[in-house]
Amino acid sequence: MKKLSLILALAGLAVGVSAAPAAPAKAAKAAKAAKSGKLATVDSIRVAEARQSDFYERVEIPTPAGEVTEVSSIALLPGKKVAIGTRRGDIWVAEGAYDADLSKIKWTKYASNQHEPLGMFWKEGSMYAMQRPELTRLTDRDGDGRADSFDTVSSQWGVSGDYHEYAFGSDPDKNGDVWMVLCLTGSFHAHAPWRGWAAKITPEGKFIPVASGIRSPGGIGANDKGDFFYTDNQGVWNGSSSLKWLRAGSFQGNPTGNKSAALANFPTPPEPTSGSRTLAERLKFPEYVPPALILPHGKVGNSPSGVACDMSKGKFGPWESHMLIGEQTASQVQRANLEVVNGLYQGAVFHFLGGFEAGLIPVRMDQEDGTLFVGGSNRGWGSRGSKNFTFERVRFKGKVPFEMHAISARNDGFEVTFTHPVDAAAAADVANYSMDTFTYIYQSSYGSPEVDQTTPTVKSATVSADGLKVRLIVDGLVRGNVHHLVLGDIKSKAGETLWHSEGWYTLNEIPAAK
Amino acid sequence: MRTSSLLALLASLVFVTAAEDGAQVYNTLCVACHGPDGKGLNGLPPLVGSDWPKGPAARSIKIVLSGMEGPVEVAGKTYNIVMPPQGAVLSDEKIAAALTYVRKAFAGGAGAVTPDEVKVVRAATAQRTTPWTAEELLKDHPFPPAKTALKNLVGTMYKGEWKVMPDFSTLKPALMEDFNVGVIDPDQSGLKDAFAMVWTGQFDAPADGKYTFLFDCDDFGALYVGGERIAEVKGIGPVGGRAKEVPVILKKGLTPLRVEYVEFAGQEVVVLGYKGPKDKDYKWLSKAKGGKAGKAAKPRVFIPIQPKDGVAAIYRNFIDKITPRAIGIGFPNGLNIAYSADNLAAELFWNGKFMDGGHHWTDRGAGNEPPAGTNVIKLSDGQGVLLEGVAGDVVRYVREKGKEEKEWKFSAIKVAAEFKGYDLDKAGNPTFRSAGEGFALTDAWLPEEYSGKASLTRSLKVTGAKAVTIVLARDLAVSGPSDGVSEIAGGLLVRAVSGPAPKTNANDKSLTLTLKPGETAVLGYSFR
Repeated sequence: MKKLSLILALAGLAVGVSAAPAAPAKAAKAAKAAKSGKLATVDSIRVAEARQSDFYERVEIPTPAGEVTEVSSIALLPGKKVAIGTRRGDIWVAEGAYDADLSKIKWTKYASNQHEPLGMFWKEGSMYAMQRPELTRLTDRDGDGRADSFDTVSSQWGVSGDYHEYAFGSDPDKNGDVWMVLCLTGSFHAHAPWRGWAAKITPEGKFIPVASGIRSPGGIGANDKGDFFYTDNQGVWNGSSSLKWLRAGSFQGNPTGNKSAALANFPTPPEPTSGSRTLAERLKFPEYVPPALILPHGKVGNSPSGVACDMSKGKFGPWESHMLIGEQTASQVQRANLEVVNGLYQGAVFHFLGGFEAGLIPVRMDQEDGTLFVGGSNRGWGSRGSKNFTFERVRFKGKVPFEMHAISARNDGFEVTFTHPVDAAAAADVANYSMDTFTYIYQSSYGSPEVDQTTPTVKSATVSADGLKVRLIVDGLVRGNVHHLVLGDIKSKAGETLWHSEGWYTLNEIPAAK
Repeated sequence: MRTSSLLALLASLVFVTAAEDGAQVYNTLCVACHGPDGKGLNGLPPLVGSDWPKGPAARSIKIVLSGMEGPVEVAGKTYNIVMPPQGAVLSDEKIAAALTYVRKAFAGGAGAVTPDEVKVVRAATAQRTTPWTAEELLKDHPFPPAKTALKNLVGTMYKGEWKVMPDFSTLKPALMEDFNVGVIDPDQSGLKDAFAMVWTGQFDAPADGKYTFLFDCDDFGALYVGGERIAEVKGIGPVGGRAKEVPVILKKGLTPLRVEYVEFAGQEVVVLGYKGPKDKDYKWLSKAKGGKAGKAAKPRVFIPIQPKDGVAAIYRNFIDKITPRAIGIGFPNGLNIAYSADNLAAELFWNGKFMDGGHHWTDRGAGNEPPAGTNVIKLSDGQGVLLEGVAGDVVRYVREKGKEEKEWKFSAIKVAAEFKGYDLDKAGNPTFRSAGEGFALTDAWLPEEYSGKASLTRSLKVTGAKAVTIVLARDLAVSGPSDGVSEIAGGLLVRAVSGPAPKTNANDKSLTLTLKPGETAVLGYSFR
């Protein structure tokens, strides 16, 4: 808003009119600016965050007194216990983290000084922690509340000793396999075997590489179909941060770790051309799976982290099967709907929850109860949330916000679904939709500007009989580009305004006409 | 509506050339670390009060284009983190706008930066693929000489070897120079080892009152204020322990100041600082800062990790002189080991303090942490569990050693065994487990006392169907055994308590133990 007023002031000076006549036009211009897609600012996000408490209750959970608990992992245990792992390597178990009165929370230290666990889960009486050097099964055999047996399930990947060589682990899949992503050595190197790879670890401890081309993950998780996704941060060969689908045998775009392929007879991954585009290179190399979801750098976030899928059957709001993606820098959680078109995942990301107290790392949904647990730290990487570490829970208060629920691609445009029936008159007005598209240079240097911008035209908007869907016919879809949709003054039938008015759809594939 | 579209059009025209665009770039990309007010978010480097965004634009442009990493001092505090490069993200115009904004808003009106300047630097540094270090940047774009309270500084150099302060009036100077900077720095001599230097000049006191001087040097020297010798650092040694703090009452204006300094060998350092009547912190008159009482010394956080309540401490992290999969154990009797889960060997042994978490648990936690205690002995390197005559059947992926990164090769090798984990008893004492095809090995450690000294009792047991050789020490001076006691590296005693005894092998200077299936060997470790 500040920027807008300044523009108005400057404009006023330029044409020699007083500020007074400009003022009534302000609201209309704000809507116009929103439509032009130029309002993805910190200000508009703050406005949305201010309304969050209408729909969601965000609560800080007291952490063990006097302890530095930079939360790096969250696991759910039977009996409503919750465990956190910390960057310093401690594992704590809380009783009472679900309670209304959090002052009675009881913490028990389960293990000390493990090596930065980034991914923990509880299975058959043991804690599993993905540490930098190994996947460990920690068991409390004598029942005193502290782990006394530490089994190394697998330690088959290389670790050179660089601080950046993080290892993120998932929950087990339906076969019991744990999926993991291994960060490169810093940004530019693979100083040890399997850096820059994803692998799965069987219950017997077999290490099976599944995908190459990884740069700097921030988290890993599966969707409701059991497909695995990880977040990869902007940097070399990553024009923007994104959510990527770990299709078995795939290449994820960064060739730095390619030389490990020969170690296990994995097909040699592609050597893409720098300065190209993701679309051009993935058409050349079918194993290159493009990001399912670009999280446009600076607009949606700067450093995506943990990944969870909402399968709480409505207990967390009407987002069944949506992906929830943590964001370290902006201390937020984004929401995304995914769909498969021509064999590739793609979908739309929306701003969702914000105002967390530190940079978020793990995101954990209790699917039974609909409680979302998040935690994080800002050590070494700054965040909007100003505390050094945090552990929080978020619950749906029961009032469904008026939101774009999902954006789905069509052969000639998009279908936008809403959480409440829309006011048909405004929703049928094409002036209330604006769209711009862009992509990034796929290159060996760090990040990329937005390039290949286009402005498609929304030709028509047809509201469904129930008011929950709007079918947009769009002239000028661009395969491979992010399509940024901004809604104008669209209200629900009941008169509610949108909580968030923008979405970013990654159009890897344009579906065939039905 | 027509008016507002016209306004919008005009606004956008004005907007293109306005510095506001720089603010937008800043608030999108830079704000996450440097903060909306330029003061640095959450302990990240500030722009306000920093010398870095001031001065030659090229230095700032280089930082934005290629990023920056490694230790850097900003506004009196040392940081060691990475600023990611933005050259591939931002156009010349956007970088110029952002820097212009930063210099105007946070750097006290340092001049605007033009897209052409960015273009020139971009072309000149096109080959740069890694972030800059502070040292590189300051070599090409140094900060302007600091204006200090030292005026008319003249340095005189003398060559020679002294262990006590010489009488400078009898010496013949090798060189004499005026310095237009008021900063004392032994590097001004251009010499290393075996020299002396005397600086004379005037201290410009801004007001009447009490001034406290801090003086320290490596190796030794004396400080004269107002013609009087107020401080002397004697003997050969480093800075830190011998720093002197001396209060002096001064009148406003110039007072003669003289520093005599002798470098015998090693580091060349002079530290000179003062606190005026109204100062809380020292201001530095020397290039080196800090010393024992220097408030501007590098902030260093110590986080001691020690056994507590009779329970051993554990530390899984990157420990110096051992492989990355390290497991440190600090026993309550003051003995410590670090076990390599890569090599399946207890590779480090030391006594005293266990570990300090101050590096790994602050900032990004880069680097290997050395043991915090004393008498650190590196017992072995390489595979610690061997089979007779064969390599083994366990596949491990390793990097073969090569000097240059491009020569590094990854390979799959076969070894005898792999790490299976460990158990901790109630007192935190570990039993490490490893196994290979057809056998398993347990390696248990307990703190005990032996002949009135702290000792660790180690029990090694092999089960299965194969004999196993355990490397206890390698490439070290090993003597004995005599009376069942071997001595390693001139200080660590390993005694055979029960079961098969270790053997000394002269050819690879090792101490090894061979166990058949079902056999248990018990060893005792203590310092002489």
